[in-house]
Amino acid sequence: QPPRPCEDYRWEWKHCRGLRHAFHHYYAHGELPDCGRWRDDYAACRAWEKDRTAAARVPPGPSGPGGGGKHGAVWALRSCPPPDWHRPLDRGAAK
Amino acid sequence: MEDGKTASPPGAEGGEEDDDFGYRLFPDRNKEPQSFLVRSLFTFHNRCQIVLCQNNIRHQSHMNRVVAHELIHAFDHCRAHVDWFKNVKHLACSEIRAANLSGDCTLMNEIARFKFGLKGHHQTCVRDRAIRSILAVRKVSRETAEKAVDEVFDACFNDLEPFGRIPHSKTDAKRAYKDFLNRDRYTANL
Repeated sequence: QPPRPCEDYRWEWKHCRGLRHAFHHYYAHGELPDCGRWRDDYAACRAWEKDRTAAARVPPGPSGPGGGGKHGAVWALRSCPPPDWHRPLDRGAAK
Repeated sequence: MEDGKTASPPGAEGGEEDDDFGYRLFPDRNKEPQSFLVRSLFTFHNRCQIVLCQNNIRHQSHMNRVVAHELIHAFDHCRAHVDWFKNVKHLACSEIRAANLSGDCTLMNEIARFKFGLKGHHQTCVRDRAIRSILAVRKVSRETAEKAVDEVFDACFNDLEPFGRIPHSKTDAKRAYKDFLNRDRYTANL
């Protein structure tokens, strides 16, 4: 099944095209949003619902908010929270 | 979290918020003069807390923002190996994310601080507040703080976890929560 319900793609597309979102995007990124990807994903989702063929698949890529959360290796991610997360930090110990 | 505080000069006016960018881990240490207005503390006294001092938080929205800001730091602490004390870049990254995602840099908040700008001003605000936060909690030079922020800015500004988007409104927040609830389906079907 698609990663999101088709209605979610439609909602995101409509939201993206709205004036409010355009304003916020311009304020945050200095440019107007590109909503084409949401539209394409919605179309692909509907096509997949109608006919589950490979033609309805969308090539993987940054889709949706955050672009898949791409970020450089500033931190090393943990596999689980530290067991002493609730205790005072140790200033001398490297985290 | 970090051990630090922010000087918020008493009686600061002018419509500009003198924000507390840091938070104190051990409130009994650092016997600073009482002129400091510590507006938020992140204390670990055997149970995790975010302690807010009400003497400089007068609006519900302000409190919401401060709590969100600190919770983003808490989230970063739990999900990554963040060296809060020895690595300025790690601190810078968390401050960038907190300023970006907590609502600190909304247009209305910036206007209230008499800082005007529109095109991409959110990023200017995030950068500026991250630098100020670092300077408030670490004894580093301004150049060091600016350099650290600049080096990690692109990566950390675009790191939108756990929301997946910059929540500009309640609608965005609700949508982010819905995406969170459906995260298993999303990751399983990528």
